[in-house]
Amino acid sequence: MLLSSIRNDFPVLFRTINGNRLVYLDNAASTLKPKPIIEKISDFYLKHYSNVHRAVHTLSSESTEMMEESRNILASFLNAKKEEIIFTSGTTMSINLIVESLIRNCFLKENDVVLISAVEHHANFVPWVRLSKFHGFNVEFVKPSGRLGTLEEQDFLKFKELKPKVVSITGHSNVTGQEINIEYIKSIFPEAILIVDGAQLIPHKKIDVKKLNVDFLVFSGHKMLGPTGVGVLYGKEKYLEVMEPFLYGGEMIDRVSFSDVTFNDIPYKFEAGTPNIAGIVGFGKTIKYLENIGFIEIKNHIYDLTFYALEKLKEIDGLEIYGPLDERHLGIISFNLEGVHPHDLAHLLDEKFGVAVRSGHHCAQPLMGILKNESKLSVFPNGTCRVSFYVYNTNEDIDILVEGIKKIKEWFNVQ
Amino acid sequence: MYNELVMDYSRLKKYKGKIDNAIVQEGKNISCGDEIILYVKLEDNKVIDAKFEGIGCAISQASANLMIENIIGKSLEEVKELIENVNLMVNGSEYDKEKLGLISELSEIKNYPMRIKCFLLAWKTLQLLIKKNT
Repeated sequence: MLLSSIRNDFPVLFRTINGNRLVYLDNAASTLKPKPIIEKISDFYLKHYSNVHRAVHTLSSESTEMMEESRNILASFLNAKKEEIIFTSGTTMSINLIVESLIRNCFLKENDVVLISAVEHHANFVPWVRLSKFHGFNVEFVKPSGRLGTLEEQDFLKFKELKPKVVSITGHSNVTGQEINIEYIKSIFPEAILIVDGAQLIPHKKIDVKKLNVDFLVFSGHKMLGPTGVGVLYGKEKYLEVMEPFLYGGEMIDRVSFSDVTFNDIPYKFEAGTPNIAGIVGFGKTIKYLENIGFIEIKNHIYDLTFYALEKLKEIDGLEIYGPLDERHLGIISFNLEGVHPHDLAHLLDEKFGVAVRSGHHCAQPLMGILKNESKLSVFPNGTCRVSFYVYNTNEDIDILVEGIKKIKEWFNVQ
Repeated sequence: MYNELVMDYSRLKKYKGKIDNAIVQEGKNISCGDEIILYVKLEDNKVIDAKFEGIGCAISQASANLMIENIIGKSLEEVKELIENVNLMVNGSEYDKEKLGLISELSEIKNYPMRIKCFLLAWKTLQLLIKKNT
């Protein structure tokens, strides 16, 4: 499929926002949804829907087959086994599941070290910090020493001697847009259980989990054209087999008596309750849709947009861009304009130009503290503006954004 | 929303700063991280001086400055009435336009549900301050 014709799959791109055509640049929060995926979900509900894995009737059997087909698609996408693909509600739940299950199984004990970075999304930050208080393990933070929030390889190297039991790291920062070199991290901590938060990485990068040799990889459907409320937790079979489930209830059991419970096989023992069946069916279709475009084409397109946007944004005086200014910067650009609060900028971009961007702390308050210390702005506003690109964005979108920022700068009389 | 009044009041400096021996109340907008510290000096149930510190968007700064301007010299009862009318205004309900004066020129805020928190930050902080200290 040609990227130039892809916009036709997204009817919302043709609506107007306050009299302007929509320029959607909030893809890191959530992407828009294309017709083929909406139709797949709609078709499933209209013709096949029932609960899964239980009843013997035709609809239940069709639903089960469609849901399991999605699992096969995800497994082959990641080069994993079908048993290693657990469907969750999204990245947040996936990480909570891993942390809690590692504790329950004593993979993670008192005084063990967990290494995360200071650029993590709260989803890969808060569960570790909170549960360390109850279970006595220590959380260490890799702080970015590079340009305005950029993680450098030596920042990780410092922790080598600490021999962390677990390393849980984002594959791609949702604030600075920096892609993290997971191969390198694996090479310095070969013994650690390696968890990769792929929420911002997987939308533009196909990962072979066997080759990368990660222990867990988590991501969400809705950040890559798929439905909300569905995510994937890939875990190595050797861990999943022995890990205690996170949620207890229906579907995840083998035998239940008054005195004891035995569990279902993986992956089902981690999927208690009725799953988001339509979401999972839609997620499978999403992977097919993206593979049809091609992940290399997607990455190249996003790279071109990022390079074009960085060049144009750099020309605006008083605009401070966060993260690296090299090839590690991809898909997401956070910035502030001197003298204009990010909420004002975002509000006016929407109201006057139809441009949707995000403003705020992006669920990464620890990183905001670091940016505040390093910022050259006269006042750092506890947040940033963030633009993020996906398959349907164009250079013209960026031109409209840049013109908008310049006009707003004039309105605010910023010198 | 970004009319001249908002732009002018967002840049006002005279109500910014600390007041010694005043009642202090911190407020925070958790959705964006903006913070405000409100200083109010009371005498005989009357606001004799007020100021604030903090950074925020144009809407939150304009709203805070308008609030301070409108509470200085007012009795606590009058301030409570003001707060009540501001809340009615942002909810899109009927309110006493006379009582709000210039503030009513920001009534368009009711059409921007995502920005009401910015607008109300100073007011909610004031409400908390009064609740805790009377």
